[in-house]
Formats: sequence, structure tokens, C-alpha cells
Amino acid sequence: MPLTALIETTPSGLEEEVVSLFEQLRIPVLRYVLSFRIPVADAEEVVQEVFLALFRHLQHGRSCDNLQGWIFKVAHNSALKQRSRTRRQAEHFSYLPVYSDAPADSSPGPEERLAATQRRQRLLAVVRALPEQDQWCLSLRAEGLRYREIAGVLGMSLGSVANALSRAVSRLTRAEEFDV
Amino acid sequence: MSDHLSDRELILASDGELSQQRQAHLEDCGFCLERLRSFESAMAELVRARGNYNPGGQRRASALFRARLAEAAASSSRPTIWRLAPAAAAFVCVLAIVLVAFETRVSAEGPKPKASLTPGETRPITIAEVCRTAQAETITPNITEETRRSVFAAYGIDPTRRNEFEVDYLITPDLGGAESVRNMWPQPYSTRWNARVKDRLEQRLHQLVCNGALDLSTAQHDIAVDWIGAYKKYVGATSAADPNRPR
Repeated sequence: MPLTALIETTPSGLEEEVVSLFEQLRIPVLRYVLSFRIPVADAEEVVQEVFLALFRHLQHGRSCDNLQGWIFKVAHNSALKQRSRTRRQAEHFSYLPVYSDAPADSSPGPEERLAATQRRQRLLAVVRALPEQDQWCLSLRAEGLRYREIAGVLGMSLGSVANALSRAVSRLTRAEEFDV
Repeated sequence: MSDHLSDRELILASDGELSQQRQAHLEDCGFCLERLRSFESAMAELVRARGNYNPGGQRRASALFRARLAEAAASSSRPTIWRLAPAAAAFVCVLAIVLVAFETRVSAEGPKPKASLTPGETRPITIAEVCRTAQAETITPNITEETRRSVFAAYGIDPTRRNEFEVDYLITPDLGGAESVRNMWPQPYSTRWNARVKDRLEQRLHQLVCNGALDLSTAQHDIAVDWIGAYKKYVGATSAADPNRPR
């Protein structure tokens, strides 16, 4: 995603570009923030703040390199702060039920749809059982970040990211094999 | 050592960042290709599972964001003085709080005796002698004029200001304090932590010592080292907030 080249320098142009980025990345960033088990309303607020911070960042003429990485990094830090502020219990959050309420994929019949839903729930249960840092790596990877970008967002070494992703994917693979 | 791709190389391959040499190995190695396929398949499955989550409300979220962005943009275009006004107001408030806290602390602590001049001195005394009366004597034993002058001189206090101070014992004679200048200091009348407050501590320590709840030596030590701290400890934190409050 060539986010670097998009930014214009005029004030109204900058606003439009930031709105465009918001519309493009709101859902991926929201998904990532929700993986911190933050209530949806708070997560939406975090996302808004992230993109307002992006506006101020660009307004002050700061670096436009790898904006996607910058956005996820700010989202990560904001989500951690928000989570410590709310200190709510995981069972009060609506992220997981939202998954199960989501429409199933286009499998032909009700049995297939049920099987697909169950497989998805098992997969997500495997993700939730991972160490938190592995979950972050996996979530960022699922949102399309390259592993160098993941290392930048989480402030980890490339080797640690590789290990975390490898561990996580290995668990996912085993879960898939169990399904088959 | 195995020539197969490491986990890190596998991820590099997935990102298209593998070196030519290792890419050549990957293309010829069924084992590594299978691992890569498995890795990508697991990720694809996860992406599908996450992809089903769409919170909706995009239009409403965009409208809200546009409004907040416009506000942020307008705010940043205000003259600098107005942008700095909230920060300046906050600074003034913080400064006021700090000054009040400082003033409160200064007036609350009052001048304590200087440890180098008034470390506190005791005389030999038995518990029976301490406890011969139900309460500690609150009347300071007579201090001669000559001794008072010595104490004021040691503390560098102008004799014309002597009415502002009472020469007091640090360790009260009723708790075994010695009648020595090293156990005396000029205590100002004006401070909140004045002689009346100290009398209350002395009564309390006397009571504790005579009830057997406190060693005499501990009582002497605590009052000598920090009598205000001892007041807070033995008389109570609540009354320490306003030690002159009637009890």
C-alpha cells in the first residue's frame, strides 16, 4: 500500500488524505485494537484518536515513511493505555460474540455453514490461547503487515517476531490438521 | 546443519524477501515448499476468520472523524496565544497548588530543633519515677535567664525577638529529659506545631510508657529525633492535619 506518496501539503489536501486513510484503514485498525479485548465503543474512540494523531503528525511535517506501520504502532500503544484505563474483565467484551454473530461464508448448506463456524471458533480459540505478544504478531500479520513492519510496531527484534509468528502459525496449523 | 529454510527465512519467503540462493533452494525443496504452503494456508484461514468481522457504522464513523478533524484543523490555525491559553492556565493552577502546598508544609512543620545544637539529652530515671503521677507535667520547669540567653545565642536569634519564642525541652523532663542546653531549643509560638501540641504528645507518650505499651527509651528517641513525626505516629494522623483542633 503506497501510503507514503499520498500526502499533499495544502491544509485541505492533508485533511482529505487523512480522511481517506481513515476510511481505508479504520476496520483493520479497529480489528487490531479490539484484539486487546477493549469494548467496541472504546476501541472506536481509540481509532479516531489514532487518526487525529496522524493528522497532527503530518501537519507538523514529520516523516511520511511507512504510515501504515506508524498507524498500527500508535494504535498498539493507545490500545494498551485504554486497556489499563478500563480494566474490565474479558468476559464483558463483545469482540468474540461479534465473530460468532457474523454471517458465515457462502457454504452451500446449513451443515457446512455450521462446520465452518465451528472451525472458525476453534481457530480463534487457538489464537486467544497464545501468549499476548504472539497474538499481536499474528494479528498484525493477518492485517497484512510485513514482518519487518511488525517488528517496528511492537519494538521487537526481527528474530523475535519470526519466532513468535512461527510458534503461532504452528499452533494454527495443528488446529487445522485436527479439523481435517 | 540442515539446509532447509529456517522459520525466519520462511517468513521472509512469504514477504518476497528471500535471497536468490535461498529462493532457489525453496523452489527445489518439497519439504520447504510444504512448510511455506502450510504457513500461508494457516494465515489465510486466520484472515478469513477475522475478515468476517465487520463492525459496520463506517459512514457514521467517517462523519464523526471528519467533524473532529475539522475541529482539530481549526484549533491549530488559531493564533498561538489562544492555543497556548489552556496550557498557560493549567500552568498557573499547578503553580498555585505547589505554592499552597509549600506554604502549608512550611507552616505545618515549623522550625524543628537543630540536631547539632539540640540532639536531646536524658538523665537516669526509672519507670516508677516517670509514672509517679497519672499525667506528665505540662509546666516546663524553670529555665534560668542565663540558660535562655545561651539557647537564643546558639540559635542566632536576636534578643529583641525573644517574645516570639518559648525555650522548651526537647525530651520533656517527665520522660527523663536532662536540664541541659543540648536538650533545649527556642520553639516559636506562631507555628501550628507549637508547645501546646507538643504537650499533647508528651501526655500520650507518658500514658503509653506507663501502660507498658512503649519503651521509655523508644519514647525518648522518637521525640528527640522528630517530635512532629512522633506526634503523627502516636497521637494520630487525623489530628495531625490540624494539631490545634480541640480533642
